[in-house]
Amino acid sequence: MSIRDLVMMAVRNLWKRKLRTFLTVLGVVIGTTSIVVMVSIGIGMNESFQKQVEEWGSLQVIDVYPSSEYGMSANANNMKKKTAALDAAAVEQFRQMEYVEAVSPILRESMLLICGKYVSNASFIGIDPGAMEALGYKVEEGRTLTAEDKEGIVVGRAVVEQMYNPKLSWQMQMQAGPPEIDIMNDKVTMTFDWDYGTKYADKKLKPIKTQVLGVMPNSGNNGYSVVMPIKQMEKIQKEKAKWEKSNSSGSTTQKQTKKEYQQVSVKVGELNRVQEVQQQIKDMGLQATSLTDQLEAMKETTKMLRIMLGAIGAVSLIVAAIGITNTMVMAIYERTREIGIMKVIGASLRDIKLLFLTEAAFIGFAGGIVGIVTSFLMSQVVNWIAAKQASEMTSSIPLWLYLSAVAFATVIGILSGYLPAKRAMKLSALTAIKTE
Amino acid sequence: MTKNIIRIKNVTKIYRMGAETIAAVNGLSLDIRQGEVCCLLGKSGSGKSTLLNLIAGLEKPTSGQIIFHKKHMERMNEDQLAHFRQQYIGFVFQSYNLLPTLTALENVTLPLIFRNVPVQERNERAMEMLRAVGLESRANHKPSEMSGGQQQRVSIARAFINKPQVVFADEPTGNLDTKTTYEMMDLITGLAKENHQTLVIVTHDLELSEYADRIVVMMDGKIERIEERKKLGGEKS
Repeated sequence: MSIRDLVMMAVRNLWKRKLRTFLTVLGVVIGTTSIVVMVSIGIGMNESFQKQVEEWGSLQVIDVYPSSEYGMSANANNMKKKTAALDAAAVEQFRQMEYVEAVSPILRESMLLICGKYVSNASFIGIDPGAMEALGYKVEEGRTLTAEDKEGIVVGRAVVEQMYNPKLSWQMQMQAGPPEIDIMNDKVTMTFDWDYGTKYADKKLKPIKTQVLGVMPNSGNNGYSVVMPIKQMEKIQKEKAKWEKSNSSGSTTQKQTKKEYQQVSVKVGELNRVQEVQQQIKDMGLQATSLTDQLEAMKETTKMLRIMLGAIGAVSLIVAAIGITNTMVMAIYERTREIGIMKVIGASLRDIKLLFLTEAAFIGFAGGIVGIVTSFLMSQVVNWIAAKQASEMTSSIPLWLYLSAVAFATVIGILSGYLPAKRAMKLSALTAIKTE
Repeated sequence: MTKNIIRIKNVTKIYRMGAETIAAVNGLSLDIRQGEVCCLLGKSGSGKSTLLNLIAGLEKPTSGQIIFHKKHMERMNEDQLAHFRQQYIGFVFQSYNLLPTLTALENVTLPLIFRNVPVQERNERAMEMLRAVGLESRANHKPSEMSGGQQQRVSIARAFINKPQVVFADEPTGNLDTKTTYEMMDLITGLAKENHQTLVIVTHDLELSEYADRIVVMMDGKIERIEERKKLGGEKS
């Protein structure tokens, strides 16, 4: 029998018993809907985690640190592991890795940003200017650094908001109200002398001139940072070292090992490759962390809940499956005679089996289709309620969930119909035809 | 020389009813000739229906051989039998046995559906058959919308559509009035003769045997006597 004929006969037979078919399909609809909605809530939860974590920074960026000596001695197993220096060679090695999109060493320096009579302390970061955008830095005004930039800074909004006049006392600062600064256009300088603007300031040291190219928003964790090209930062660090040396009180000079970086950021092109690349870097004997670690941990803690939700859905689908089996067994009792007739006039065992399987599959398929439509509506309701209560319990149904729900319901139908179909197949044509 | 299309050799069918055993067919041998109208005549319980079921492969004999078209039917499995019935056998039942969900036309095409004949072709052939039984105007009616005689016509059309070599009719007119009975018998025998098909009719009605070339009278699972009604001159009759 051709598929067309099978479907035609199946639909006719199902249509003949409309109410029963409807009720059986309804069972599948409820099963499919509950499983899809439950799974979608699990997915929605993960998505809201992801959104939450992404607010802290890009999920695709891995931060690499030199292998810590403390960790080494604490963990005997690590002793054997080779350790690599986080130097230019390592940076080059990262660049060669598959899926890596951008790499930049990170230099940090705490300095003061000066604008007119106001100052603000901030964490200054030197990065490869061409990699700034790739590393997830965003601006709400102006632009990010580009590969052509040799100088210029991008400042965090909070840095600007926290500007104060160092000449005023604490109480006076409170009364002075917010400073009026147009950071994009005003003249801006910076200095590593923390006493700038006070009587302890080193008068000989001239603040470094620079230009603001953009402003980063406070969302994310760059509000308190100032980003500049790494070359510029290196120059500043050299000057600072010189200044500290010349300073009589320069007892705190740390010897900066020039070759090694304190931090390198690696941007991975694809989100689901981050862990892989991170592991590769760890295998080199370096420390590597990314926000995906946090995300994974969050997902892990809710895993049980998600499994439970899925299981609740699965139970209702199992009930629906039993419903299908019941309907098909009933159909076979009713149609014993028909089965006999078909066998006598030349239906093969396969035809009989396929006929009943098609009917069962159809119930599953129809239930699946209606089920995903209902799921869509339910999901809207869940999200509406979630939005109203500001709850994180949102529902999100990706396309694959829709498709696999229909496929799954159909497969459930076929499986449920299998035993009845087998039974129909085994009916003796003669006894079947004698049944009244 | 007339060929034998079916050879039944020493066939026995025993039913067990609790402790009792009943030999419905008891050591029976019979040859059925190609193109004849053969009537198995007997009272209820004479074993005529069992014999028909055995020849049609609906039941397996307890012992003996049934050779249909040079093939041993008693050795075939159910799938082979299904295939065999598709190819060589047509059935007309007492109670019509049409599928209630299908129209007259679809019921007639059913054997072709199982043989995977394309829609266009099978619908044409089914319309042709319906025309032959005089029911073309009812092609799209369901069985429930037709009279007994009309249903039996559909069933006859279904039996003949595949041009089977043998058509079995088990009490084909048992549920019909006298007038319709004769119409039906004329139709069946006419169609069979037209295509030189073999027709095996099972009945307890002596009048139906008038249509037969040969009457096999059965009693207690055995052949009581065989009457030759007409000289079988092949297609002439």
